[in-house]
Amino acid sequence: MPVLRLPKFGNPVKYAYITGRVRAKKTKLIPNDMYQRMLSMDISEITRYLEETQYKDEIDEMAKDFSGVDLVEYATFANLAKTYRNLLEVSIDEPKFLILEYLRRWDVWNIKTILRGKFHGSSDEEIMKYLVPAGELDLEFLDGLAKKDTVEEVIQAFDGTDYYVALTQYDGHMLSSVENALDKLYYFRMERAVGGTLSVGGGLLLKYIRKEIDIKNVITLFRMNKAGIDASIIQENLIEGGKLGGDLSRMAGQSYDEFVRGLEGYPFWSAISDVATEGDGISRIEARLKAYLVRYAWAISNYHPLSILPVLGYIVSKDTEVSNIRKIVRGKEADLPAELIEEQVVVA
Amino acid sequence: MVVEVIIDGGMLYGLIAVGAGLATGLAGIGAGVGEQGIGAAVVGVVAEEPGFLGKGLFLMLLPETLIIFGLAVSLILMFAWAPFA
Repeated sequence: MPVLRLPKFGNPVKYAYITGRVRAKKTKLIPNDMYQRMLSMDISEITRYLEETQYKDEIDEMAKDFSGVDLVEYATFANLAKTYRNLLEVSIDEPKFLILEYLRRWDVWNIKTILRGKFHGSSDEEIMKYLVPAGELDLEFLDGLAKKDTVEEVIQAFDGTDYYVALTQYDGHMLSSVENALDKLYYFRMERAVGGTLSVGGGLLLKYIRKEIDIKNVITLFRMNKAGIDASIIQENLIEGGKLGGDLSRMAGQSYDEFVRGLEGYPFWSAISDVATEGDGISRIEARLKAYLVRYAWAISNYHPLSILPVLGYIVSKDTEVSNIRKIVRGKEADLPAELIEEQVVVA
Repeated sequence: MVVEVIIDGGMLYGLIAVGAGLATGLAGIGAGVGEQGIGAAVVGVVAEEPGFLGKGLFLMLLPETLIIFGLAVSLILMFAWAPFA
C-alpha cells in the first residue's frame, strides 16, 4: 500500500553537511580510466599507486606485516571499514539511521565470512583479515566470534537476535542456504526499519534498495538459468521486495535465450543488450549490471541532491572501487589474462 | 456606518518605520534560512578539501544579497518617503 510521505522542514539541512562531505570524497575515488592502466601494472606498481591515494595510511601501516596481494587486499578492506565508519560518525539523526541500516550488509558479510572460515577450518587471524567492521557488530564482538571453534558455536552466539532464525537453517553440510537466508533477512529488516519511518529519505532509500534487489535477482537468474537449474530452486534463491519481483520470478527456469528476450524493454536492458545477446560470460553481464546500479544511484541523487541518495551513491562507488582493486590484484596473482580481469571490473 | 481613520504625520511616520524594519528583518531571516543549508554543505566540503574554503565562503555570502535588497527598501522608506510624511 502506498504511503504518503510528507517533506519535513529542516530535513534537507541535516543532509547538507553529509552530502557535502561525500561529494568531496567522491572526487578522491580512483578514476575509471585508471583501472585500464592498473591492468598493465605489476602488483608492486599498483601498491605504489595506491600509496598516492586515500589508501596511503592503511598501506603504510600494514606494510610491515604484509606484502604483495595480501597487503593490497587487507589495506583496501581496512580503508573501506574506516571510510564507512567515518560516514556514520559525521552524520546525525535520519541520515545516520539510514546509513547504519544500509551498512548492516557488512554485518551480514562478516557473519558469512566467519561461518565460511569456521566451515573450512581457517584460523581466527586469517578470518579477521577479511572482516569489514563497518556495520553494527564491532570488531571486539567479531573477534570473539572468530575465536570460536565451530560453526555451531558461532550460530549459538546470535541466540536472541534476528540473525538466529536465519542461522538455524544450517544443516551441517552446506552454508548456501544460511547465506541466502541472511541476505533475505537483511532486506526484510531494511524494509521493516526504514519503511516505518514515513520520511522522504527512507522512501528514497527503499527506492534504491528495490532496484538493487531487482539487479541481484537478475544476476541470480542469469547464472541459474544458464546452468539449467529447476525453476522452483531458482525461485527459492530470489530475494523478495524488488519492484520486478513477480516478473523475474516468472522468468525462473526459462531457457537462456527466452530469458534474455524477456529482459528486453526493462530499464537496465540498454546496459547489457550487447553482451547478453552475444551469450558472453556471466561475469561481464554481472559487471555491467553492477555499473548500471552505481550510475542509477548517482542519477537519482541528482533529482534529490539533499537526501540519502548521494551518500548511497558514494557508499556503492567506494565498495565498487575496493572490489575492482581486489579483482585486479587477485587476477594478476593468478596470472589471468588482462581481458578476463577487465571484463569483471565494474566501470560505472 | 462610516469608519473614519485619521492618520496624522506622526502615525504615518511610525508605519513607514515599521515597514522599513520588516523589510530588513524579513530579508535577514530569509537569508539565514538560505545560508543554513549552504553553510552546512560548505563546512562538510571544507572538512574534506580545505582548499575549498575561499570558494565556499563566496557561495555562503550569496544569500546575503537578499539583505542588501531589504536594506535598500528600508533606506528608501526612511530617507525618501518619511520626510514627506
